[in-house]
Amino acid sequence: MQIRIGVFLCDCGKSLSNIDFPKVSERAEKLQDVVHVGLHSNLCLKEGIEEMLSTIRDGAIDRVVIAACSPKLKEDAFRNALEEAGLNSNFLSLANIREQCSWAHEGDVTEKALELTAMAVERARFLKPLVKKDVPVNKEVLVVGGGFAGMKVALDLANLGLRTTLVERGLALGGRLEGFETNPAVPINSMRKAIEENRDIEVLTSAELTRGEGEVGDFSIRIKKGDEELSRSFGAIIFATGYRPEISPGDFQLRPGVNLISQEKLTEILKAPERLELRPKTIGFVLDVSDENCRLPTLSALNDALAVKERLGSEVYVFCKSLKVDSEGVEEVYREARDRGVVFVKFEERPRICSEDGRVKVELNDILLGDEITVFCDFLVAEERIMPSEGTEALSSILKMRIDSRGFCQDENVHLYPVSCERKGIFCVGACRGDLDIARASTDVASAVLSTYELLAPGTAIVEAERVKVDPEKCRVCLTCIRVCPHGAIRLVRVDTEREVAQISDLACEGCGICAAICPAKAIDFEGYGDEQILAEVQAIGESL
Amino acid sequence: METSSLVIGGGVAGVAAALALADNGSQVYLIETEPSIGGWAASFCCKATDVCTKCSVCVVPQKLQQVAIHPHISILTDSMVAGLSGGIGNFKVEVLQKPQYIPPERCIACGMCAEVCPTEPKAIRSPSPEAVPYSYVLDESRCLRLKGETCDLCRDICPTNAIDFNHEPEKKELGVGAIIVATGFEVFDAREMGCLGYGRYPNVLTGLDLERIFNREGYLKLPSNGKDPKKVAFVQCIGSRDESHGYCSQVCCKYAIRFARLIKYQNPNAEVTIFYIDLQTAGKGFAQFYEECQKNIRFVRGLPVEVLGTSSGELEVRFENISEGTVKRETFDVVALSVGISPKKDSWDLARTLGINLGECGFFDAKEPLNSNETNVEGIFLAGTCQGPRDIPDSIAHGMAAAQSAMEVLERCK
Amino acid sequence: MIRGNNKIVAFCCENSAYLAADKAGRMRLHYPDNVRIIRVPCVGRVDLIHILKAFEKGAAGVLLIGCHEGACQHLTGNTRAKERAAYARNLLKEVGIDEARLRMANIAPDMAQQFVREIEDMTEKTKER
Repeated sequence: MQIRIGVFLCDCGKSLSNIDFPKVSERAEKLQDVVHVGLHSNLCLKEGIEEMLSTIRDGAIDRVVIAACSPKLKEDAFRNALEEAGLNSNFLSLANIREQCSWAHEGDVTEKALELTAMAVERARFLKPLVKKDVPVNKEVLVVGGGFAGMKVALDLANLGLRTTLVERGLALGGRLEGFETNPAVPINSMRKAIEENRDIEVLTSAELTRGEGEVGDFSIRIKKGDEELSRSFGAIIFATGYRPEISPGDFQLRPGVNLISQEKLTEILKAPERLELRPKTIGFVLDVSDENCRLPTLSALNDALAVKERLGSEVYVFCKSLKVDSEGVEEVYREARDRGVVFVKFEERPRICSEDGRVKVELNDILLGDEITVFCDFLVAEERIMPSEGTEALSSILKMRIDSRGFCQDENVHLYPVSCERKGIFCVGACRGDLDIARASTDVASAVLSTYELLAPGTAIVEAERVKVDPEKCRVCLTCIRVCPHGAIRLVRVDTEREVAQISDLACEGCGICAAICPAKAIDFEGYGDEQILAEVQAIGESL
Repeated sequence: METSSLVIGGGVAGVAAALALADNGSQVYLIETEPSIGGWAASFCCKATDVCTKCSVCVVPQKLQQVAIHPHISILTDSMVAGLSGGIGNFKVEVLQKPQYIPPERCIACGMCAEVCPTEPKAIRSPSPEAVPYSYVLDESRCLRLKGETCDLCRDICPTNAIDFNHEPEKKELGVGAIIVATGFEVFDAREMGCLGYGRYPNVLTGLDLERIFNREGYLKLPSNGKDPKKVAFVQCIGSRDESHGYCSQVCCKYAIRFARLIKYQNPNAEVTIFYIDLQTAGKGFAQFYEECQKNIRFVRGLPVEVLGTSSGELEVRFENISEGTVKRETFDVVALSVGISPKKDSWDLARTLGINLGECGFFDAKEPLNSNETNVEGIFLAGTCQGPRDIPDSIAHGMAAAQSAMEVLERCK
Repeated sequence: MIRGNNKIVAFCCENSAYLAADKAGRMRLHYPDNVRIIRVPCVGRVDLIHILKAFEKGAAGVLLIGCHEGACQHLTGNTRAKERAAYARNLLKEVGIDEARLRMANIAPDMAQQFVREIEDMTEKTKER
């Protein structure tokens, strides 16, 4: 069927004086299938669009080419206008003759403007309609990890009316903050109680994920609980798997023993100081020996130092290289600690730590004094290295998710921050993303809850149907696209008793086209940026070469 | 009960909050005092060398564009909050809009008005390249017509008849269910530390100046003579962690290290030194290139106390090298002051209008530490640096968290 | 100003390069007018056949401009484009087309000056002598 292309040139209020518009118009009229060329001065304004719309209707135009300012400004408005005129919004092809032509070059740019217009015309020939459709989404949410962040996600989602399944590997909910007096304080007990009483939250303890398939709106998950294996479906998944603290004995050159204690042990002591045989005279905290680039040890050390002063009255030393105070309120706590007599000793070279006479001897060069000093501590609280939770790698491969350079959840790509993953519908909150603090974890939770709610609450999602599509006839089931898709949006589906082919999830697809470029059988069509369309643009340049 | 919301401030946090609420189906009014949205981040630069350094500046343009085309967001530029009444679920907000002599919805950015403007410097200026909306702006203080003289050149030439000198300030009343304050920050004025020479010597710059220079030019040349930098010093904690600013500004160590790295990459023979108290290098994605930096950037513990110009146009910096225990003088050709995030001085105006509290450091006060979005007024939430220093990703997260709190209010109103 | 047939086809990723090109226009940073920008959603979309077709049709040079390593919104798009360009260069060598005529560059949306420099460099390299 004959297509009828309408070309609309805009001279931006007649200001694009280095383009000879009548000449462009004249040459554009000669292009094949072009039935109308119009010159306008303000296509971006309402009156300009109205003019264009009446021309489209009168001229029975079915493909619209607009040569004007950058598509980044008005593409959306133009697409809406096409819908108003009864045309499919995808039948639009734009040429940037302002920012990337008239404004970018000195002297006459008529030739270039014409070529850009011709490129857009050639591309328009190959445009196909795109239809929006509603796809159902499963409104249930999977939360992996029953610590502070996981519990908070579950509670907040339940408050908003979304049912969650909270899967926890351990015996009970609570996580790493259980029993710790944190600053700010987190109400672990009341959260746990609230979850138990909430009928919209299903808690599965001693449970682990074993398999994960599907995409956003339709994840199929297998959960192993004891001897049972449960199958569940979810619309979205939120990871809150926390972190694993580790004390690296090598960093301290002596085995963790009675006098080199973990933060956990200190907490125990602080809870019941009367149980100690002897009041410790000196307690030391050592930081920046295992990992200089971590906040959490500083935050814990500062809070604990104050607690020690209050409850044990001991001398307190904090040995560190650079104090990490880049969290809210921490500078204040640091100053308070100093006011209360906590001694901060800064070093450049690692301190030498050893056991002597039943105490811990810390020798280092105090850079403020400019001298070697020796401090004997009754207890030295060891810095904990913040590591990814055990099983993070396995979990990430179950859900085909990337991990970062240190093994934590969520790739380090800034476009994903704060809580998204490269796979739509999967989020990571809290410490599982890497070094974090409670306040930031709390903000993470709110972001993830909001994003999940927006995704699932309506029960359906609007997608452009089959914008990127695998042709089942051409698909050779090589699985390349499935492996290559950075968003995990492609899966195998059965088409008949004999064949499976790749299929792209409209909802999970982010429209990058990487699959289309890599498919060896050229079985993937990307409407708008298909091979035909791109090659047509290239050829149009060639016509005048 | 109102189901729409108001976001005060169009910087990254406000934009993130507005998008989150609008995507959920609510009508959002986004008001901004400047003629365009985007705040500070829109004017910042990418700090990548051969790899991305996670500064997050590149995430901004897309978000601004999404706001511009979103059917549920109404942007009101040149606007501020003049009054508030009512309460949660039912706020009545009085918005005052400055006269928009060139209304953005009529301006096609052809630039002809600026071409014919007779004043020098021009009273009509082109928008910054990143501006959303991308429309020309009239500077009242320079315009002849607004000063009472006869001049109609711009109005006559405007092809869309957009320019109207009869525009008056407009008062609008908006009914909203929830309010998010995202008014951002001010940078510490480095001139207050006179001994460091900012404002006196052209080659003493702030971190903000560097952002602008790289955003425009793509590389750093000495402001005094246009030559390549050879010896660069960064001075941390300017306007933070001191007597009058009892907080860490959170962003400065990271941006200084990124800039230091970038300058070194562009000028491999340059010597770059960072003077610091404690280096803040924690955070996802940062450790990897910090470690690499330790090889070719000099880190000196100890802040300079004085910067003096020499007769040869260099800058002599006097500092204590704490690690060595010596007081030294060294010359540099550029000194970059890492200025901190400060609360806006006019925050107390808005605080009074809305009835929300300011905290000790001058930022808006969050009610509780575990929820740093809630204020003392139900239904009014905080987003971004107006509540405390934070970087771009944290501001976006904070904005989304504020939107979540606001959404809970609006859901109850439905 | 380069006139004549010294055409350069620049495949520009819409998240970075295309925006940088727009910015260059807004700043009125003038650069050679022989470049033709083709917008793509990600530089990883650019296929071998697109590159080869450009040379077949007589392009003097081809640029693939995407986001910085680690900043690609689609994570691997820019690395794939880089590999594809390297592969294409080998093919071009076989048919006697100088490797320097095909280049993959990485920029951010605010880097108007760098965008202009890429165009100027490629134009200079491929100038008819």
